[in-house]
Amino acid sequence: MAAVEKRRPAMTQAASITDSGRPGVSRAAVTAESEEDFLRQVGVTEMLRAALLKVLEARPEEPIAFLAHYFENMGLRSPANGGAGEPPGQLLLQQQRLGRALWHLRLAHHSQRTAFNNNVGVAYECLSASGRKKKPGLDGRTYSELLKRICRDGEAPEEVVAPLLRKIQCRDHEAVPLAVFRAGMLTCFVLLEFVSRAGALYRLLEDPGLAVADRRVGQAVLDTLAGALQASDDTAPARYLEAGSRLGPDSLALAMDRALVARRPSAAMTREEFLEKAAALFIAKVKPVG
Amino acid sequence: MSRVSVPCHVKGTVALQVGDVRTSQGRPGVLVIDVTFPSVAPFELQEIMFKNYYTAFLTIRVRQHTSTHTPAKWVTCLRDYCLMPDPHSEEGAQEYVSLFKHQMLCDMARVLELRLILRQPSPLWSSFTVEELQIYQQGPKSPSMTFPKWLSHPMPCEQPAPLLEGLPDPSRVSSEAQQMWALTEMIRASHTSTRIGRFDVDGCYDLNLLSYT
Repeated sequence: MAAVEKRRPAMTQAASITDSGRPGVSRAAVTAESEEDFLRQVGVTEMLRAALLKVLEARPEEPIAFLAHYFENMGLRSPANGGAGEPPGQLLLQQQRLGRALWHLRLAHHSQRTAFNNNVGVAYECLSASGRKKKPGLDGRTYSELLKRICRDGEAPEEVVAPLLRKIQCRDHEAVPLAVFRAGMLTCFVLLEFVSRAGALYRLLEDPGLAVADRRVGQAVLDTLAGALQASDDTAPARYLEAGSRLGPDSLALAMDRALVARRPSAAMTREEFLEKAAALFIAKVKPVG
Repeated sequence: MSRVSVPCHVKGTVALQVGDVRTSQGRPGVLVIDVTFPSVAPFELQEIMFKNYYTAFLTIRVRQHTSTHTPAKWVTCLRDYCLMPDPHSEEGAQEYVSLFKHQMLCDMARVLELRLILRQPSPLWSSFTVEELQIYQQGPKSPSMTFPKWLSHPMPCEQPAPLLEGLPDPSRVSSEAQQMWALTEMIRASHTSTRIGRFDVDGCYDLNLLSYT
């Protein structure tokens, strides 16, 4: 910091010189430093460039909040605020690293595949470049904790995501390769989106008066989805066509209609149950780590 | 339509000529090639394919299995089929030829043996034959000719059923369900081949495996 303070008067001098036209050779030799040079030397140019790239990559809706958060993270990362070295500091550091990794992971939606993959890589580095004593690398404990954090923040009910965590978690002592990490993160984020879609679907199925969905209708829709997911043909185009046909409005309307043929009122299906059953369909297709 | 190649044994060409082959000045105008099927039961011939080499006319005779008691008969199934429109000129001399069973004069069921009789009346060509001879029989019928039910879905008779009122909007339900399907399909398609290196099965280790490592 002190070095920066020292440079400041020199910089103002240099600036005044450039303003007044061609500087004298003798004075310029003493302080050959323009504004641009200064910015480059203290690393602001690089920092702003990186920040702008992140903005372009993530295209946030509120760029100011995004940048504020970004620089806050930058502050956390710099060594001055970082490792205090004491045991409680270690724990705090771990939490900070998790938070930073999470922030990177959330920068881009998983459908922006390149950006998402980049961010996953950065997050992986964040987590694996850990304390001085430990060897670099990501252990299963951190990975599992990160998964839990993502799911918790994703507002998905615990019982819905628990089966997924069981499937893709690693054991505490295991070293997690980047590919496994990336697949886990992607799966986790996609599941969260899936669950929120399922929530929207449940709202559509809700009886406006009762605010719950009819069990038969809910089950019929889920069964149709399950049927589409287990399409008979293995070749991709035919399977997609078949799924498209099964999930078309006509087909779904028929399924729901059939479910309601008996007009008797029946039991309700709660939102949690619906989400759980829907997520089970998704989780069945996830390959477990091994 | 699918076809299956039949393993066959093509015997050497036999020239029909008056006089001694080696001393006589004239070249033979007729060649005979016998084709046998030693490892195949009598089959229905679907197609004969070969590459011509300066043969002008082709006659094929076939020996067919009739019944266990009567000896098999030789029948002419193709007579003087023209391979070269003008035997003195190149046209058609080196073409690939396919002859199908519907071009034959007789039924081609239960074939035991074939005899190809090749004629070349023109003395211009020093030799003639057919090459790359292949015999095909009909393959199994392609299985997926029945269309899946969803292709003709929804059935016209099911369509007009009036939907109950109070049913959720099918198109919006469909849109959400399709999104969910797409997400699941994406995860199904994206899988990593990297393994974390677990050797246990349901939390237990194979003792042999441990002792080797």
